[in-house]
Amino acid sequence: MATTTRDDIEAMIARTAHEDRDAFLALYDATSAKLFGVCLRVLDSRPDAEEVLQEVFVKVWRNAGRYSANGLSPMTWLITIARNTAIDRLRARKVVHEDADAVGGLEDKAPGPEAQAIAASEAREIARCLDELDDDRAAAVRGAYLDGQSYQDLSDRFAVPLNTMRTWLRRSLIKLRECLGG
Amino acid sequence: MSDGTIDGPFGSDAVLAGEYVLHLLPPEARRAAEDRLAVDGAFRALVAQWSERFAQLADTVAPVDPPAGIRAALRQAVADARGTERRRRGSALGRLFAGGVGGLLAAGAAVLFLTVALPRIEPPYSGPLYAAQLQGEDSDLVVQARFDPRDNAITVLRQAGGPAPGRVLELWLIAEGAEGPVSLGVLPEGREVEVDVPDDLAGAIPTGTLAISDEPPGGSPDAAPSGPILAVGAVEDA
Repeated sequence: MATTTRDDIEAMIARTAHEDRDAFLALYDATSAKLFGVCLRVLDSRPDAEEVLQEVFVKVWRNAGRYSANGLSPMTWLITIARNTAIDRLRARKVVHEDADAVGGLEDKAPGPEAQAIAASEAREIARCLDELDDDRAAAVRGAYLDGQSYQDLSDRFAVPLNTMRTWLRRSLIKLRECLGG
Repeated sequence: MSDGTIDGPFGSDAVLAGEYVLHLLPPEARRAAEDRLAVDGAFRALVAQWSERFAQLADTVAPVDPPAGIRAALRQAVADARGTERRRRGSALGRLFAGGVGGLLAAGAAVLFLTVALPRIEPPYSGPLYAAQLQGEDSDLVVQARFDPRDNAITVLRQAGGPAPGRVLELWLIAEGAEGPVSLGVLPEGREVEVDVPDDLAGAIPTGTLAISDEPPGGSPDAAPSGPILAVGAVEDA
C-alpha cells in the first residue's frame, strides 16, 4: 500500500473496467486490507466484515467503468463504497439486534498504536478542524463516519435527546465547513 | 425539499450533503438526497467535497489483512464472469459478477447509486448543466431529465410510473415562445435512458419545457402528441 500511488490505483480501476482480472486482483491486493479495516470498524464483526468486503469488490468490479479519474480520488471512491456497504449491513442487522454494547465501545473502537502513528504522520486537515470542536462533538462526528452510528445511536451514547444530537451534528458540520474553507 | 431535513435554523445544502455523507439521514430523506444527486450539480459537488474530507478520517483506521479465502473466491468469480459461459456456470458469487444481481442490487441500491453518481462529481467541465422535473396531475409518472450541452444528450430517469401496457412514452420539447412541441423521440425502455438531441434543437433546451406523452408503439403518428400529456416540467439550471 505504501508504495502504491494514487495513479497506480486509478490505472488498476481503469483496467478493471475492461474486465482485466489481473488488474482487479492487483487492486484487491493494494486496497483490501484498508477496506477490510473500514468494514471491521463499522461492523465490529469479522464474519460480517468478510461478507461485506466480498460484496464491496463485486461492486468495484461491476462499477469500475463508472469511476472517472476526474471525480473523487480513487481511495475516497473505494472507501465510500466500503463504508456505505458496511453501514447498510449494520443498519439491516440493527433492526433485528439492538445490543447495548454497540453504543458504549469508544475504547474498543479507538485506533491501535499503528493506526495512530499513521494518523499523526498525516496531520490531515479534517483532524485539525475536528480538534477545534468540543471533544464530544468531534467524537460524535467520528462516530457517525467511522462507526456508522445513527442519530439515535449517538443520542444514546452521549445521553442527549435526539434533537439535541441533530443540532450538535449540524452545527459541527457548519463549523467544519468554515474551518475547512468552503 | 419539504421533508424538514434541510429546513430550520441550521438548514443548508452543505449541511444536508454532510449528513448524507455521514449516513445520518433517515431512509426517505436519503433517497430524496440521491434523487437530487442525479440532477443537481451543485449538490453533487458538495457531496464530493464532504466525501473527500471525511475519507481522510479513514487514515485513522488500521488496515487488517482479510482472510485469503476472500481473494480466492473473488478470483474464481471474475474468472466465471468472463467469456461466453458467464451466465451458465460458477458459484453464486460468480453469477453476481456475471449480472444475476437481483438480491445484491436490491440490498445495495443506495451504494450502487453512489458509485454511479459520484464519478460525475467535479467534472473538469465547469459549464452549465440543465435539469427538469417532469410530472403531471392525472398520472403517476415522475421523471427527472438532465441535459448535458457537451454532448447534446438528455438523460431521462423514471422515478415513478411508466408506459401503459402496449403503449410507449414520447419526449417533447416546447421551446420558449414556440407554438407547439417538437418530438425528441420515443423513450427507450428502461428506468434510466439517454436521448440524443439534434443539434438544431439543443440550443432551445436550456430555456424550454419538456413533456412526455402517452403514445402508440413507434410514437405519435402526427407531428404533435396524439395521446395525453402525462408529465411536464420546465428546464432549469442544475
